[in-house]
Amino acid sequence: MNGTVVVVGAGPAGLMAGLAAARAGARVRVLAKGWGLFHWHAGCVDVLGYDPVGGGRIVSLREGLAALIAARPDHPYGLVGVDGVLAALADVSTVCAAAGYPLVGSFDRNRLVLTGVGGARPTCLAPATMAAGDLDRGDPAVIVGFDRFLDLTAGLVAANLEHRGIPSRAVTLDLPSLRGRRFVNGPILAALFETESFRAEVAAVLSPKVGRAGRVGFPAVLGLEGAAAVVADLRRRLGVDVFEIPVAPPSIPGIRLHRILVAAIRAAGGRVHDGMEAVGSESAERRVTALLTESAARNLRTRADAFVLATGGILGGGIVGHEDGELTEVVFGLPVNGPGDRADWLRPDFTDPAGHPVYRSGLTVDAELRPVGDDGMPVFGNVHVAGGAIGGADAIAERSVDGIALATGRYAGTLAAATALDRSEEAAAS
Amino acid sequence: MTEPHAAITFGPDSTGRHHLPVEATLDNCIKCNICVTVCPVSAVTDAFPGPKYEGPQAGRFRHRDQPSPDASVDYCSGCRICNMACPTGVKIAEINARARARLVEEGLVGRRHRLRNNLLARPGTLSRLGGPVRPLVNALFANRAARWVVEKALGIHHSAPLPMYAGERFSKWLSGWKPHDEHPAGKAAYFTGCSAEYYEPRVARTAVQVLDRLGFDVVVPDQGCCGLPLLSNGEFDAARAYHRANVNRLLGFARAGIPIVGASTSCTLTLKEEAPELLDAMDDDARAVAGDTYDLHEFLVLIADEGRFPTDLRPVPLRLLYHPPCQYRAHRLGLPALDMMELVPELEVVQSLAACCGVAGTYGYKEEKYDIAMKVGTPLFEKVAEVGGPVTVCDAETCRWQIEHGTGVRSIHPIEIIAYALGLDIEGPLTKAIAASPTA
Repeated sequence: MNGTVVVVGAGPAGLMAGLAAARAGARVRVLAKGWGLFHWHAGCVDVLGYDPVGGGRIVSLREGLAALIAARPDHPYGLVGVDGVLAALADVSTVCAAAGYPLVGSFDRNRLVLTGVGGARPTCLAPATMAAGDLDRGDPAVIVGFDRFLDLTAGLVAANLEHRGIPSRAVTLDLPSLRGRRFVNGPILAALFETESFRAEVAAVLSPKVGRAGRVGFPAVLGLEGAAAVVADLRRRLGVDVFEIPVAPPSIPGIRLHRILVAAIRAAGGRVHDGMEAVGSESAERRVTALLTESAARNLRTRADAFVLATGGILGGGIVGHEDGELTEVVFGLPVNGPGDRADWLRPDFTDPAGHPVYRSGLTVDAELRPVGDDGMPVFGNVHVAGGAIGGADAIAERSVDGIALATGRYAGTLAAATALDRSEEAAAS
Repeated sequence: MTEPHAAITFGPDSTGRHHLPVEATLDNCIKCNICVTVCPVSAVTDAFPGPKYEGPQAGRFRHRDQPSPDASVDYCSGCRICNMACPTGVKIAEINARARARLVEEGLVGRRHRLRNNLLARPGTLSRLGGPVRPLVNALFANRAARWVVEKALGIHHSAPLPMYAGERFSKWLSGWKPHDEHPAGKAAYFTGCSAEYYEPRVARTAVQVLDRLGFDVVVPDQGCCGLPLLSNGEFDAARAYHRANVNRLLGFARAGIPIVGASTSCTLTLKEEAPELLDAMDDDARAVAGDTYDLHEFLVLIADEGRFPTDLRPVPLRLLYHPPCQYRAHRLGLPALDMMELVPELEVVQSLAACCGVAGTYGYKEEKYDIAMKVGTPLFEKVAEVGGPVTVCDAETCRWQIEHGTGVRSIHPIEIIAYALGLDIEGPLTKAIAASPTA
């Protein structure tokens, strides 16, 4: 009998942990209150965009990460090392490529991808569907918007590209097949782009307007399951490169990553359930024995041999701040390291480049990602923490959310599987 | 209609659970639109803009002294998939259900459709009326011309998968049933539900025999409709009467610590949560009944966890598609029926991973919603065709009928598999399927 690992949370950290644990032979249950980070973010893998120590944009991740870990060994990246990050990136790249949705990028050069307002964002891996939007390319672009689709203002993106010296033009399409609809949003456009008739309609209207542009940028709604094929088809029809621009939530590229990872966990024998909010746990002898989740009329008890806590930090909801300044961890009640006084949570200037102290708050963990108490000892021997719940990084300011989540998730999942399988062997022996 | 914010209480209730009233969860909405990406209805029709727009967003414009802002909330099927995906705990489907009740109260649902809704929502009453002339009603429902007349007169779609009356009601069978003599596991109260009483007594017969086989002294309390069809048609006052009557009849069992178990996932969810929550009726009695009510497989998993479920199970050499209904997932239990089926040797269960079959109780029966329901169900129907197999497995009655309607493949309740695995003599399509299996 395999050991059971319960992962709490289904963002990048939780899903990566679930995948690693399932592949290591554990019986995996990923339980999540709801869907989260993937549906909100750009669908890229940000590893480290800005240097939190010296400031400035990171070009080579290989060098930038090594320098960060040397300067700040207590940073979450210090727990996994450069090799741990590389292993996680390799895993996620392999899984996505196998799903027909390749990611592109290099550990030696952060890419600059376009944001939904035409800004620039450093990222390590981007889906191939965004590749032609690379801001290091200077060739002219046409930016496409859709009438009544409010999540991308093509004119704004094009104007900001012009500011960067990239000749750009905005085209907003008023299509007959959208005119009859009461609502036009990302999921609807993504479903329409999966149909040949809609692509033909778009290409027919757009083709005469491409002019001498070498590439055409669309809001990132070019299909959900078959995005690679949709982009290839549009490229063929338009005769120029086609790329996606991430827009406001719900993020279609993020949902693609979510679906790919969930499918990979299921293929490895694990299960992923939403609607199951963790509200507490049962423990004995410094081990957690069961997770309690909210269910209709009563709490549900799920027993496991090891647990991964991947509920996120102060932004993800895994850590909650209270009026008196206290910060609490919501599932196991673990001690949180952070500013104790509420007045110290935030700096006066919202855009202070040093970030805000409360965002660095989180759990202190040992080398095996186990949460430690004031005595420096693990609070529970069979709980491993991943992602934003680990303190020590202002991941938003650094642009390191995904890298930290995937690398610590992979490590925590591997450790939890080992813990669970040891545990189940002990049980089988006794 | 409940007054918005009339009874907002925060903090843990008497059972230690944190319970935020429906309207208060509206403030948790961060407008992230995740619900819009999972809604199976807005994905196929422009008539329903999506959970966020109809729930928390329109909710800001709803006040008891103001007219309802948007009648399209009636196109919410109540599947609760939005609730499950919401990262901030907004009770979107419940907000919509209450908004629909308000439409009904304001007379914004036309008289003909309201009459139809009231008929569809009272399976018990309808069955008692139709019961004595069962063959006639069955013949009528099987007649295409008659179904067109019913559609024109009442607005029940002529193709909707209306159930047929069974030859013998469950309660009649029960009166002649001989259970085991020994019951070491104590008593269990069985909540039958209207569908198993009138249309599919096979499911209830199988369920009580499984409980009996596991050592339970099964009692079937006097009971009425759980009220869910009325709730999902916005007929809250009528639903309140049904719910209260059931609470009164079941309270004695709850107070005595006798578990109330049901195989209809929607009935059990209604007793556990849906009725008391929507109706603001979560008093001590309702809470006692809710806390004592179990889905059948939830109950079996608890028994298995205690090592009280047999391990010498009869193999079921089949590969079957299992669709866990939305109303089952909304219990927030994971997949207990799948947990139980995984104990059965040689059985390979393939999860549908489809959002919804579309029918959502009475939703897919309605002339204006039938096409939507069929479109919602299409990915599931395609999955059935892809996986194949002699039968499909699904916990909820109307979903089984919808799957049969959409695929032509018979659909059974998972308890029928468990019963077979326990060595019980079972009836229906599963026995045939096993007999026809090449490896059997």
